[in-house]
Amino acid sequence: MIATFSFLARRLSQGALIVFLAALIVFTLLRVGPGDPARMLAGGLSDQASVDALSEKMGLNDPFLVQFGKYVGGIVLHGDFGQSYIRSESGLSVGGGHGDDQTRSDRADVLSLLGSRLPLSLGLALAGLGLALLVSAPIGIYAGLRAGKWQESLSIMGSSLLVSMPSFWIAGLLVLLISIKLKWLPAVGYEGPRYLILPAIVLAIEMAPIFIRTWSSAISSMTRRDFVRVAPVRGLGQRQIFSRHVLRGAAVPFINTLGVMLTSLIGSLLVIEFVFDFPGLGKLTVEAVLQRDFPLVQAIAIIISAFFVLVNIAVDFVSGLFDPRLDY
Amino acid sequence: MTSDISTAPLAAPKPALPSTRELAMGKRIWLATRSSPWFLLGAGLFGLLLLMALVSVFVFQVDPTKMNFVDKFTPPIFSEGANPAFPLGTDQLGRDMLSRALVGLQITFLIGLAATALSFVIGSAVGLYAGFVGGKIDQLLMRVVDIQMSIPPIILAITILGLARATPALVIAVLVLATWPNYARLTRAGALAERGQEYVRAARVLGASDIRIILLMVAPVALPPMAFAAVFDLARMMIFECVLDFLGIGLQPPTPTLGVIIADGRKYLINAWWIAVLPGVFLMLLLLSLNMMGTALERARNAVFEGAK
Amino acid sequence: MTEKLLSVSELSVANAARPGDAPILDHVSFDVAPGEALAIIGRSGAGKSVLGRSLMGWTEAPLTVTGGSVSLGGEEVLEAAPDALRRIRGTGIGYVGADPTRVFDPTLPVGRQIAEKYRAVRPGVSMKEALERVHELFNLVRIPEARHRMEELPSKYSGGMIQRAAIVDAMIGETKLVIADNVTQPLDVTVAAQIIRLFQDLRERLGTAFIFITSSVPTIKDFADRIVVMDKGRIVESGPTRQLLEAPQTEASGQLIAQSPKIWGTTAPESLSASDELNRPAALSITAVRRTYKVPRKDKLFGSVFVQAVRGADFDVYPGESLAIVGESGCGKSTLMRLLTWLEEPDDGAVHFHGKNVGTFTKKERFDLRAQLQLVLQDPYGSIPAHWTIGRTISESLRLHSDLGGKARRARVEATMAEVGLDPALYDKLPSGLSAGQRQRINVARAIVLEPTVLLLDETFSALDPMEQTPLIELFRTLQRERAITCIFISHDLALVRRVASRVAVMYLGRIVEIGSNENVFGRPLHPYTRALLSAAPTIEASPYDPGECLVDGEPPSPIRLPKGCAFAERCPVSRPECLESDPMLRNTLARGRIACHFPLARGMLESAETKEEISRVG
Repeated sequence: MIATFSFLARRLSQGALIVFLAALIVFTLLRVGPGDPARMLAGGLSDQASVDALSEKMGLNDPFLVQFGKYVGGIVLHGDFGQSYIRSESGLSVGGGHGDDQTRSDRADVLSLLGSRLPLSLGLALAGLGLALLVSAPIGIYAGLRAGKWQESLSIMGSSLLVSMPSFWIAGLLVLLISIKLKWLPAVGYEGPRYLILPAIVLAIEMAPIFIRTWSSAISSMTRRDFVRVAPVRGLGQRQIFSRHVLRGAAVPFINTLGVMLTSLIGSLLVIEFVFDFPGLGKLTVEAVLQRDFPLVQAIAIIISAFFVLVNIAVDFVSGLFDPRLDY
Repeated sequence: MTSDISTAPLAAPKPALPSTRELAMGKRIWLATRSSPWFLLGAGLFGLLLLMALVSVFVFQVDPTKMNFVDKFTPPIFSEGANPAFPLGTDQLGRDMLSRALVGLQITFLIGLAATALSFVIGSAVGLYAGFVGGKIDQLLMRVVDIQMSIPPIILAITILGLARATPALVIAVLVLATWPNYARLTRAGALAERGQEYVRAARVLGASDIRIILLMVAPVALPPMAFAAVFDLARMMIFECVLDFLGIGLQPPTPTLGVIIADGRKYLINAWWIAVLPGVFLMLLLLSLNMMGTALERARNAVFEGAK
Repeated sequence: MTEKLLSVSELSVANAARPGDAPILDHVSFDVAPGEALAIIGRSGAGKSVLGRSLMGWTEAPLTVTGGSVSLGGEEVLEAAPDALRRIRGTGIGYVGADPTRVFDPTLPVGRQIAEKYRAVRPGVSMKEALERVHELFNLVRIPEARHRMEELPSKYSGGMIQRAAIVDAMIGETKLVIADNVTQPLDVTVAAQIIRLFQDLRERLGTAFIFITSSVPTIKDFADRIVVMDKGRIVESGPTRQLLEAPQTEASGQLIAQSPKIWGTTAPESLSASDELNRPAALSITAVRRTYKVPRKDKLFGSVFVQAVRGADFDVYPGESLAIVGESGCGKSTLMRLLTWLEEPDDGAVHFHGKNVGTFTKKERFDLRAQLQLVLQDPYGSIPAHWTIGRTISESLRLHSDLGGKARRARVEATMAEVGLDPALYDKLPSGLSAGQRQRINVARAIVLEPTVLLLDETFSALDPMEQTPLIELFRTLQRERAITCIFISHDLALVRRVASRVAVMYLGRIVEIGSNENVFGRPLHPYTRALLSAAPTIEASPYDPGECLVDGEPPSPIRLPKGCAFAERCPVSRPECLESDPMLRNTLARGRIACHFPLARGMLESAETKEEISRVG
C-alpha cells in the first residue's frame, strides 16, 4: 500500500516536471521560429499599426517567460489551453485577411476543438489496437511455443514483411483494391462506422507484427528459463506450467510493448487519418501545423506528452504487479 | 559444475564459465548472425537493390527528372500499352518511374543512414558515459533522455519542420533528435553491466581514467550488440522520412524522394495506380532486407546473451 | 539389504548429437535400500549429474537413454506414461539441484509455488491444506518465521534458506527418495554444514532415502552409508563409506580422496614474519576503517537504510608477509577490498600505504603509487578483456605508468610473460581458447609487470581446479621470494589459506574478529566463530572440532540492523548475557595475535587479564 502510494507520488511528480519541461521546449521552439502570429492573424493586408495592436492585445510583446507563465497558469488554473488562431467556434478555418474584426471570442477554444475530434480518433485507435491484439496474440504465442520450428520462421517472415510496409503506402494499396476496384468499403472521410474499417485495418497491420514478435520472443524465452524446464520434474502439468508461469512471465514484455505501441499510436493515427481524410485528432494536428496554428499545436504537444508520461507510469505499475521484483 | 575437489567453499565462488565467454560478445554475435538464413536472405536482397541503384545511376545514367510528355502515364510492363523503355511506366509528366523509384530510394536510404549513424554516436556516447559513471550525472542525463522521449517524435518533427523549410540536413536533425534517446537507454544498460565487470576493476586499480576505460574497453564490448537496433532503426528512420515527405512537411517536390512520389501518385490512384504503388514496392523490399538482417542480429544477440547468463 | 527401493540396471545414456563419443553413462547398475544414504562421487564430467537426472526420467535432448532400466518400488521410471511419470516425480523421487534459485518462478511467493506443486501431485487437496502442509515442513527444515517467509519471493531468500525451501519442495509429496545433486556447492561452509545436518535429521525422522551427488568427498564422509565412485560414465567402485575411504581399490577413488582438502594434516608455509618482521613499519595499515552504504527504502516514501559493510576494521600488513583475510559471504570482504585498493574512501578511519595516509594523497600521487599496489582478480574470464590481445592486456599497465617505447614495452611484457609461465609467442593472440589457469597467469603478469610492492589476491585461485591451482600457488611462492612482494589474500577457502598464508585474519560482519599466525588460528583458535568455521570446513581428515559442539545455527544478522552487543552473540555456542550487552573490541593476545571476544576459548591468552567491569567498559 505504502509502496504503491510512494511509487505513484514519486512518478507523478517526476512526470509533471517532465511534461512541464516538454511544454517549455515546444513553447520555445514555436516562439523562436520564424513567423509572427499577430501578422498572420491580422492577415497579410493589414497595416503595421493594427498588427502591433493585436500583438499587444495577445500579450506577444511580454517577455518570453511571462508569456510562458501566463500560458501554463491558464492550463493549470482554468484548464484553458487558449484559442485557435485560425479556427472559429464552428470549427471551420477562418484564416486571416479580414482586417481587425477578429476578436478572441470568435475563435474556437482549443480544448473543445480537441474534444470534438477525440471520439473519432479514439474509436479508430481502439478498433485498430483491438484488431491487432486479437490477431497477434494467438499467432505470437503459438510461434513462441514452436521456437526453432517452421511455424516460428513463418511468423517471423510474415511479421518482417508487415513491418516493412509503410502505413501510407499500404493504405493506398488497400484503397485501390478494396475501395476502387472491389468497391467494398468507403475510403475517404467519415460518415459512419463503415468508414472506420479500412483505417483500422491499416492501423492493425502496422501494430500487429510488433505484438507478434513480442509474444513469440517472450514466450520462447520463458520456455527456456530454468524454472520452466525444471517444472515437469517437480511434477507440475504442462497446462499449469503454461498458464501459471510461461504466460505470466511473458506478460511483462507484452505490457511494455503495449506501452510503446500506445505512445506511437499518435504518429500512426496522424498518418492514417491524413491518408483517409479521417476527421480525427491526427488530421487536426497536421492541419494545425500546416496552418501554423500555434495554440493548437502547443496544446496537442502538451497533452500528448502527458499521455506519454501516464502510459509509462501505468506500464511500470502493471509490470510490477506481474513481476514484484521490478523496482517501481 | 565447477571442480571443487580440493577447495572448501566458505563463500559461494562464482562459477567459471568455460568456452562461452572466451570470445568477445560482438564477435560471437557476428558468428551466430553470419550463418543465419535470415541474414543471408536479407543481405542478398539488400545487395541486389544496392546494385540496381548503382547500375541505374552510373551505367545507364538515367535522369529521374527528365520529362517526356509523349509517354506520360505509360503503364508498367506486363500491362496493356506498356513500353519496354519504361519497365515501371511513367508518371503524369512522362518521367521514368524506375529511375525515380531508385533515386528516391537512394535519397531516403542516405538520409536514414546519416540519421542512424548520428543517433548512434550521440546516443551511445551519452548512454555509455551515464551508465559507466553513474550517480548524479547518470540521473541528470537520463532525465534529459526522459524529457526528450516524452515529446512524441512526430510532434517534434512537425513542430520543427512546420517552422522552417525542410532541407535534408534539417530532416536528418529531426530524425536524430527523435531517435538518440533510444540508444542512450540501450547503451546505458550495456555500460551498467560492464561497469561491474572484473576487467574494469582491474583497470581502475591500475589508475586508468574513466574515459580511457570507456573508450578502449567498454565501448568495444557494449556497442556491437547494439548493431541490431541500428539496423532496425535504419528501416524505421527511412519510413519516418517518407512519412514526413508524404505529409508535405519534409523534403518538397521536385526532389524525387519516395514519400514525395507516393504522395504525388495518390492523385492518380484511379487511372495510374503504378505511380503510387510501385515505388512503394522498392521501399518495402529495402525495408524487408533491413528487417531481416536486423532480426538475425537480434536473435543472435539474444541467444548469446542468454547463453552467457 | 534384500529390500530395494530403487533399482538401476545397465543404464546407458549417450549424446545423440555426437554419436562417435563415448557414452555419458555406460551400463550403470546399483540399488538403493529404503532409508539408505548413498553418495555418488566423482570428478566433474564423470556423468554424476546426468545419472541423477536420468533417475527422474529427465534426459533432455540431445541426451538419450540408450538402454537399461530404472525402477522405483517395482515401477519402471524410464518408460512411464506422462501421468505416471508425474506421479513418480511428485510422490516417489524428489530432486534438489545445486542452484535452487532457478527452481522457483522469481515472480511468485515461494510457499505458494510449493503448495501449487503439492496440489498438482496430490489431487483433491485444497489450497488451504496445501499451505498448511508447506508451513509444517518449513518448520521441520527450520526456516525461521515460516508463515512470513512462505509469502516472500525467492529473491528474498539467502542461499541456505532457498536450499531448505527446495528440500521442502522435493519432499512435500512424501517422497521416499531424494536426489541431492551438489546441493552444498554454492553455500558458505557453515551453512553447508547445517544443510548436511538437516539431511541427517530428516532421514532419521522421516526414513527418507537419499542419493547425494558431489565431487567433494569430505561433504559426505559423515553422512553417507555407502559410496559409489564414478569415472568416465562408469561405476568404478562401490562400498561402505568408511571402508572405501580408508582403502580405495581403484585409482579414480584414490585420487579423489588424495586431492580432498586438508588443514591439520598439512604444515603452514614457512613464516616470513618472524617476530622482528612484525616490528617493521607496516606496508599497508588499516585503522578503525568504516564504510556504510545508504540504500533508499522501497516501502517508505522517504528515508533510507544504512548498510554497515565494514565496521571498524583494524589491522596491519607487514612487508614481505602474506596475510589472508577469510570470511563468509556478506562479511564485508568485497568492500574491504575496494577500500584497500583505494577505489573507495572510508567514511571513518584511515588507510596508510607505507606510512602515508591514502586519503591525503593528491590525484597525481595516488596515480603514481598505484603502480606499487596491484590486484589479481578471481574470475579468469571476466577479468580479461576478450577483445584485446594478451600482449595488449598486459602492456596496458606499462602504457599507463611508464614512458617505455613500443619495443622496450614489448620486451618487458614478454619477459614478464616468460616469468609467469606464459609463452611469449602468445603476445599477439586473443585470450580465447586459453585455460582458466593460463588466464590467471595473464592476470598475474598484468599485475606484476609494474613491479608492485603490495599485491592483493581476490579469490585468485578459487575458480581453478586442483590441477591448475598447485602450479599457480608455486608461482606465487617464487615471485614472493624473489621480489619480496607483500601479499594479501582474500579467500573463503580455508584449506587454501592454510597452504599460502603466514598470517590469517577472520572477518565477521564487517569486522576482523581474530587475527594471528597461521599456526595459531588453525591450531588454537580463540574466537568461537573461528572455531565454528574450522569445524564446518569440509576436510578429508577428522576435524579436531566436533561440529555438534562448535557449529553455529542460523545465519548472520543483517548488516542493516545490528545488535547492540557482540554481533556474533546470537549464534555463539558459548555466549553469555554480557555478550548481548557490550560489543567486544580487538585486544592483543599473548601469541602476537588479536581477538575481539569477551570470553576467548582459551582463558589466559589475553595480554592482560581483565575483569568483567573492564570488559563492559570496552563496549
